[in-house]
Amino acid sequence: MSSRVLPQFDLLTPQSIPEAVAMLSQHQGQVSVLAGGTDMLLWNYIRKVKPTYLLRLSGLDELDYLNYIPGEGLIIGAKVKIVQLLEHPDVAEKFPALYQAASTFATPQIRNMATVMGNVLRGSPAGDCSCAILALGGQVVLQGPQGERLVGIDDFWVAYGVTERKNDELAVELRIPEPTSTTRSAFIRMTRVHEDLAKINVAVCLEMKQNTCQRARIAMGCVGPILVRLKQTEKLLEGQQITGELLEQLAASAQEEIAPIDDQRSTEEYRRQVAGVILRRVIEKAVGTH
Amino acid sequence: MSEKTYVGKNVPKLDAREKACGQAVYAADLQLPGMLYGKIVRCWDHAHARVLKLDLSDAAKVPGVVKVLAPKDVTQKNYNTGVLDLMVPEEMGQLLGDIEDQRIFTDHVRHQGDAICGIIAESEEIAEIAAGKVKVLYEPLPVYLSAEESARPDAFQFDERKPGNRAFQLPEQMFPGNAYGWGDVDVEMAKADLVVEETFYLPKVKQCQMEPHAYVAHYDQTGRLNCWTSTQMPKCVQPKLARLFELPISRVNLISTTIGGGFGGRLGMVFEPETCAMALAVPGRPVKVQSTREEDWIASESRHPGKYWIKLGVKKDGTPVAVDAHFTSNAGAYFSHSSGVPFTTGGWLTGMYKYGAIRYKGDTYYTNQAPSGAFRGYGNPQTNFALEQIVDRACTELNIDPVEWRKKWHKGVGDDGWCIGVPYSSCALDECLERGAEAIGWKEKRARYANQSGSKRRGVGVGVMTHTSGAMPMLLEHTTCTVKMNEDASVVITLSCSDLGQGSHTVLKQIAADTLGMPMDEIHILVNMDAAGFDIGSHASRTTYVGGGAVIKACEDVKRQLIERAAIRLGVPEEDLEIKDRQVFAKHDRDKRLSVMEICHTGVYNFTNPENGETNGVPGQITGYASHFPGHNSPPFGACFAEVEVDIETGEVKVIELVIAHDIGRAINPMAVEGQLQGGAHQALGMTLTEETCYTEAGLCRNNSFTDYKMLGPTDMPKMTTILVEQPDPIAPFGMKSVGEAGPVNPVGATANAISHALGIMFTEAPITPERILQALSEQKVA
Amino acid sequence: MKTKIMTLCVNGRDHRFEAPVNRTLLQALRDDLKLTETKYGCGTGECGGCTVLMDGKESICSCLTLAVEAEGRHITTVGGMTRDGELHPIQIAFIEEGAIQCGYCTPGMIMKTASILANNPHPSEDEIREGLEGNICRCTGYEKIVLAVQRASQMLDNSQIQKSGGMGQ
Repeated sequence: MSSRVLPQFDLLTPQSIPEAVAMLSQHQGQVSVLAGGTDMLLWNYIRKVKPTYLLRLSGLDELDYLNYIPGEGLIIGAKVKIVQLLEHPDVAEKFPALYQAASTFATPQIRNMATVMGNVLRGSPAGDCSCAILALGGQVVLQGPQGERLVGIDDFWVAYGVTERKNDELAVELRIPEPTSTTRSAFIRMTRVHEDLAKINVAVCLEMKQNTCQRARIAMGCVGPILVRLKQTEKLLEGQQITGELLEQLAASAQEEIAPIDDQRSTEEYRRQVAGVILRRVIEKAVGTH
Repeated sequence: MSEKTYVGKNVPKLDAREKACGQAVYAADLQLPGMLYGKIVRCWDHAHARVLKLDLSDAAKVPGVVKVLAPKDVTQKNYNTGVLDLMVPEEMGQLLGDIEDQRIFTDHVRHQGDAICGIIAESEEIAEIAAGKVKVLYEPLPVYLSAEESARPDAFQFDERKPGNRAFQLPEQMFPGNAYGWGDVDVEMAKADLVVEETFYLPKVKQCQMEPHAYVAHYDQTGRLNCWTSTQMPKCVQPKLARLFELPISRVNLISTTIGGGFGGRLGMVFEPETCAMALAVPGRPVKVQSTREEDWIASESRHPGKYWIKLGVKKDGTPVAVDAHFTSNAGAYFSHSSGVPFTTGGWLTGMYKYGAIRYKGDTYYTNQAPSGAFRGYGNPQTNFALEQIVDRACTELNIDPVEWRKKWHKGVGDDGWCIGVPYSSCALDECLERGAEAIGWKEKRARYANQSGSKRRGVGVGVMTHTSGAMPMLLEHTTCTVKMNEDASVVITLSCSDLGQGSHTVLKQIAADTLGMPMDEIHILVNMDAAGFDIGSHASRTTYVGGGAVIKACEDVKRQLIERAAIRLGVPEEDLEIKDRQVFAKHDRDKRLSVMEICHTGVYNFTNPENGETNGVPGQITGYASHFPGHNSPPFGACFAEVEVDIETGEVKVIELVIAHDIGRAINPMAVEGQLQGGAHQALGMTLTEETCYTEAGLCRNNSFTDYKMLGPTDMPKMTTILVEQPDPIAPFGMKSVGEAGPVNPVGATANAISHALGIMFTEAPITPERILQALSEQKVA
Repeated sequence: MKTKIMTLCVNGRDHRFEAPVNRTLLQALRDDLKLTETKYGCGTGECGGCTVLMDGKESICSCLTLAVEAEGRHITTVGGMTRDGELHPIQIAFIEEGAIQCGYCTPGMIMKTASILANNPHPSEDEIREGLEGNICRCTGYEKIVLAVQRASQMLDNSQIQKSGGMGQ
């Protein structure tokens, strides 16, 4: 049954991170964290999650920071909205994959509401910013009763919609490592119409020495239950000159490495067919030959 | 064309200001004292099932629930949401096999979203909570999603009156051989040098009007059933509700709310029956029923999907000797428009070109999809996808320019229109084709794109169409209009025509102002169902054409009365008088004149001089009236040109440009005409490229929301050039022809043809998705 | 059901009311405050019929915002665009360009336009179209809406020039 009315819940409005963590511990498993609301307040999502409590971040302004720290990288507080990525000059310059993902993300309204952390926590294989973050590498900072713990983004998504975050932990920060002057990254997605969830998306982060790729991270979305890294394809790329021939090999490898399915947005067959094409295009975009 | 003050001008819509301020009142905005909230409890988990047990006891116990309604608690009469029963004589309805097969609440679920029972509560939230506590035990039945499946001999029979689950085929008594057309197709086809044949697949497309269906009903203290509705057809819904609830028409009142888009989706009844049934259960208290987007999707009607087989035989020189065609459509779960769309689909086909012979068959089968019904174009976009592509295939094989072929073979003045026996009264398709071709750069681009390499391939395509202005003579065409002259000579025009947003009321007012010679701001349009006479409703692209005709006649009636009175007062014969600048003049003696204001004023304030018994004018307030039955349907034509770019590595299509040249006869409001063409193009491109309601094998809708069903957005839409070709129709009022339903028709064929021009592959299945394109390209590579 | 006393500042006016905590901002506006100009079209943040402005600049979907989350913010609906009965240039542009048909998307479209122009007074056509994503119109094909945004941009420009005393200053 569809609905215009949200199910009943109570609100928790902590005024500090320790208080929030305490609340999460006290009501373990009964609390959902409300940030931007663009996923959480969808009628079909919240009815599935059925939270007894919604824990609001409204009292936690200390989580609203987006800082680029030279030598360290990009630090994204849990309340940072997608639109803030677009407004920060260092994101566009140093983390193009993330910037590109943010700029086509959903709609202007949703970009004004949704948080970057929310996109990561949703654990959807279609998450655009998540895809870029997986390619860029990084960590999720979790605050729990025992203190802080860092989980690498490679290990963060466990299954569709399931993350490493424990029920009593608050995800407080994303950290994306500092690129070098030879790091190149880019993001591409394909959709049915301009405004849509991705039918397939891809991001790369390449360490280049002239035309040779020394290190590569390739993230692809909508080709499995969670976002995946194409590690075999990365190996093929590392240490190689980027040539047309290599790009064809990478494309073929990507097709082998993924496990897409049919759904409302596309088909398994199509996703396989275009995976190589968009991988080639995103590499070309990253290294500037596109 | 005589000079007009308002006709032909870009007059902003009458309701634009209140809409821009957010003050237009849509049904969901209504707040009435003591209002309750109704929730229609629908079956979400089955597409075909029997209700074995319905337990409303827990739902009834929820505090704030006023009443729960099981199927037995409401009228046991059946109904049909469509309105064909009011548009054709009863005997014809019987011939067509129209049946009433819907129940307000049912124990036989025939599609996901069928209504099971109703909850009436003090708030929407309470109603929803109670709806969640309704317990239903279902016995699943086999699910049929296509005509092929449900036509199988061992299939479950939906309705004993419709053996084999065939809801409709063209009836033998009206269409010998169950076919529409002329000539001996088998004989003529044998003469063809080239026969092209294909089966096309048309998708189930949703109207997606932005306002989800919402209603308020109130069974009031006088025993009247009032229903606030955004229906396109208030004067048809009124008698249908009266019949369903066994009330005289005088005890059913329809109040038209602002219509948040119609496109056929509000043709006939939608959820008025359920809402009124709830109101009747709680006399004295209004009940609001507001559907969610998902409910709107699964429980209301859509465009007819189906298979369209077509075979075209041509001579070497392109002469179309014969067409054989068969559209097998999917009716969905109920009869609804099962007889209408399969017929008109053939009408648009037969009306387009001068075939030597043509045989069109149309039938429709029940399935467990949501019912199919009316959607802007009513079968025409379906025909356009098949016909325009098969014509282009023949042109390609014969190396004939598709524009030249169309110019040579389209029907024109004197040829039979979509209704055989009613000839075209005008046709400006040649000019549409010429101007459109020039605007898009047809010749140059056709040649330039003939040989391309690289991953991006361009193509240009053309599609033509013809439609209708009103449904005469097949369906009842009747609109009444009353024009009341106030004592200050300002005007109130009362009618029951709906304005779906296209600007009908504005256009009717422009017509009235020019007919009366009055300023628009002294004319008020009143839409009140108690006060207004009959109008068949806003459908079949008829409101400007037929409604406009009624307005003109009623205004002429006023003018006749003004002249009649002036003749008495001035002592001048009526034939020597004329009205200009709000004065009645003697044609040959301009000093002999009387103002319209004075005639109107003295008619109302008519005093008798007690001394001599004389009055100060002719007594009586002037009211003009017309009960208008148009004598024709003045079909419009149109030519659309599309340019596309296809990415052959991904199959993605970008529509670069559309040029839409429309044979409007005369544009009453050019800005509104452009709006119809541009908005129609949006719907056409959606059907061609992205839009389709899909189902799981179990018959559950896979995409009942804007998240999962994608329409083109502002960045996806191409540059659009509209060309209004104005060659006035000799029969039509002011020479005007229709545009509304024409909008979503030929951008379909033009875009499909542009894609096949780009790739050299014709796509038989719509929507033409990147998935389908890439598959076809890889098959081509293999071949 | 848990309720809360909330205060929402809508179109410059504070409204105090008690409502269940699960109220969306859209419900609060329409049902509690009877400000029905903001529309429900999908409830999933896709159609933009419920678009309102936060703090004068930021467009959001009121259907996916809890009413309590909007406390302390300045909310503008299309009802707040008119000043002393005088239409805002964006409203005039929509009317005169024929950008309004059924009108159901119009309140959201106008608020979106206000947000586009507040953040970028001279958008290119591409920027306008990008900016209008998230607001669905089924009537116009967007063509005349784009023209209306362009015209509104010019009108706002002219009124700024007039206010600042003209080009010469």
